[in-house]
Amino acid sequence: MSTVYSVFLWRKGFRKDDHVNYLLLLVAFALHTVAMFQRGFSFNQCPVNNLYEATTFIAWALVAAYLVVGLLPRLRFLGAFASPVLFAIGVFALMPALDPPRGPQPEFSGALTSLHAAMILLAYGAFGLGAAAAGMFLTQQHDLKFHKLRAVLSLMPPIQRLEIIASRLVLAGLVLFTIGLDAGGRLPRPEHTAYWTDPKVVWSIFMWLVYLALLVLRRFFRQSSRRFAIGVIAAFAFLLLTFWGTNLLSTLHHP
Amino acid sequence: MNIFVIGLSHHSAPVELRERFAFAEAKIPEALKSLRESGIAAEAVILSTCNRVEIYAATPLEPARAFAELKKYLARWGEILSSPNQNTTKSGLEGLSPHPNGLGDTLYTLAEPQSLHHLFKVACGMDSMVLGETEILGQLKQAYALAHHHGHTGARLNKAFQRAFHVAKHIRTETNIQRGSVSVASVAVELAEKIFSSLGDREVLVIGAGETSEKTARALLSRGARSIIVANRSHDRAVALAKEFGGRAVQFDDWAGEFQKIDIAISSTSAPHHILDRAKLELLMKARQQRPLLLIDIAVPRDIDPEVNFLENVYLYNIDDLQAIADDYLKQRKEEIARCEAIIAEKVKGLLETRSPMSLLIDFPPVPSLNKS
Repeated sequence: MSTVYSVFLWRKGFRKDDHVNYLLLLVAFALHTVAMFQRGFSFNQCPVNNLYEATTFIAWALVAAYLVVGLLPRLRFLGAFASPVLFAIGVFALMPALDPPRGPQPEFSGALTSLHAAMILLAYGAFGLGAAAAGMFLTQQHDLKFHKLRAVLSLMPPIQRLEIIASRLVLAGLVLFTIGLDAGGRLPRPEHTAYWTDPKVVWSIFMWLVYLALLVLRRFFRQSSRRFAIGVIAAFAFLLLTFWGTNLLSTLHHP
Repeated sequence: MNIFVIGLSHHSAPVELRERFAFAEAKIPEALKSLRESGIAAEAVILSTCNRVEIYAATPLEPARAFAELKKYLARWGEILSSPNQNTTKSGLEGLSPHPNGLGDTLYTLAEPQSLHHLFKVACGMDSMVLGETEILGQLKQAYALAHHHGHTGARLNKAFQRAFHVAKHIRTETNIQRGSVSVASVAVELAEKIFSSLGDREVLVIGAGETSEKTARALLSRGARSIIVANRSHDRAVALAKEFGGRAVQFDDWAGEFQKIDIAISSTSAPHHILDRAKLELLMKARQQRPLLLIDIAVPRDIDPEVNFLENVYLYNIDDLQAIADDYLKQRKEEIARCEAIIAEKVKGLLETRSPMSLLIDFPPVPSLNKS
C-alpha cells in the first residue's frame, strides 16, 4: 500500500505532506514488530538466524530509521523513496529457500552473535535510508537543473540538507557496521574454517571500505554531491543484490 | 440583523477614487463611532487598504435603506477625508462628486449571503489584485481587532470575522490558492530555499543594479541572506545601493573575485554579450570548492552563457525561467478557484445554519463576483 501511495506522491510532485505514507509504514512497522516478537518467542531466540529473518530485519531496521527521521515533516518524503525498496526486500524475503525448516539446533546463538547480526542489519537499514535520501537529492537536483516547476512546488527539503542527511545516515550505518563486524570478529570460529577467505567476510570488508571511501571522498576530496548520491545508491543496490549470494557461499554463515 | 458590505476596490474604482475614500487608521475608531451613533449600523468594521475600502456593517435596517444610508455615509466621509485640511492627496479628484450618485458603478453593495461570501473571499485573498496573496488576511485581522478593541463589534460580526479567519486558514492548508510565488523576485528566493539549507549564512552578489535585481536582492535579504555585494558600472550607484542593503560595493571589473565567497549571483547588466561563460565559471567553481551556486540572470540580452548550467552544483535561471515558474504558479492558483468557491459556499451556509433553523431551507444561488450598486 505504501509503495502504491508512493507512486501517487511521485506523480503529484511531493506537494502534500506525506503523513499518510508515514502512518502506513508505522502500522506496518507495528505489525512487523509483533510478528518478529512472536517468531522470536516461538523459537526462543532473536529472530535473525537465517536469510529470511535477516532480510526482513533489514526492512524492519530501515522502517525504524525512517520513522525516527520522518518525525521531521519535511523528511517524511523519504518514505516514498524507501517504500519501493522495502517492497522489493519483502518480495525477495518470501522466497521459500530463504526460510528452510528449523533443525534441532539453532544456526546461531549467544549475545555476541545477536549483537553482530543486529548491528550489521541495522547498518543496512541506515544505508538503505541513506540511499533513499540520495534518491531524493538526485530527483530534486534534476528538477532544479532542468527548471521543473515541481522543484519549487514540492515540499521536499533543500538539496544541501538532503546531501547532509544522506551522508549522516551513511556515517551512522558505517559506525553500526563497524561495531557489527568487530562483534563478528570476536565470535568463536568453527574449526577448519578459513576466516579471511570466507566470501561473506571479504564481501563485508569490501562493503565497509566502499562506504568509508564514499565518506572520505566527500569529506576530504570535495567529491561532487551528485557523485556522492549516485555512489550511495549504487553501493546499497550492490549490497542488496549480493547480500544473499555471499551468505550462501559463506561456510561461516551458511554451514 | 444582517451583515451588509459596501465599498470600492481595485476591481471597481481607480486609485484616484480609492485614495479619496481611504481611512487613515487613526480616523477609523472615530468613523466607526459616528456610523453607530447615526443608527445606520449596530456593529461595524472598516477595512481600508491600498486596494479596497469596505464597511462591514451589521444592521437591523432593510437592505435598500441600509445601502442608501451607508452610501451617504461613505460619500460624506469621502468628502471630509478629501477636504484640504485633511492633507489628503487631491490629484485626480477634480470632477468627482462626493454625492453617492456621483460614485456611479464604483461602489458595490452586498447583502447576505453574498456579503459573507465576499468577506470570506477577501480573507482568503481571492478578491485581491494578486490572487491568493496573504497580506490582506493580516489587514483584515487588524481592521477587525481595531473595531473590536473600541467596542464596535458584537455577536454578528465577531462570529462572521472569526469564521472568515478560520476559512482562510482552512483554504490555505487544503488548497493551493496561496502556494508559490507569483513575482520574479519571490520565485528567485524560493529557488534559493530549495538549494541551500538556510539563507542565513548566504552571500549575494548583485552584478548590475537594475530594478528587478534590486527587488530580488531585497527579497533575499528579507529572508535572511547574510550580506549583499553590489558591482555596477556606475560605482556611485553601487555604493548607494550597497549602503541601502547594508552591504558593500566593489568595482565592476572585480566582481569575479567575489565568486569565492558568494552563494547567489544576480546579474542584470546591459552588456551585449555573455559576461560569464562556462570556461570562466569552471575555474571559479574550483576556487570555491564546488559549493552550490545559484545564478539568476535577469539581463536581456543574457549575461550568463546557458552552458554553465551543465556544470556540477551550478543552478542557472534566466528571466524567462523565473517568469515561467511565476506564471505556472498563477495558473495553478486560478485552477484552485472553483475548489475555494465550493469551500466558501459551504462555510457560508454553515455559518447561516448556526443562526436559524429556517436558514437550512436557503438554496444558495451562484454568487456573482461583485454586485455593483
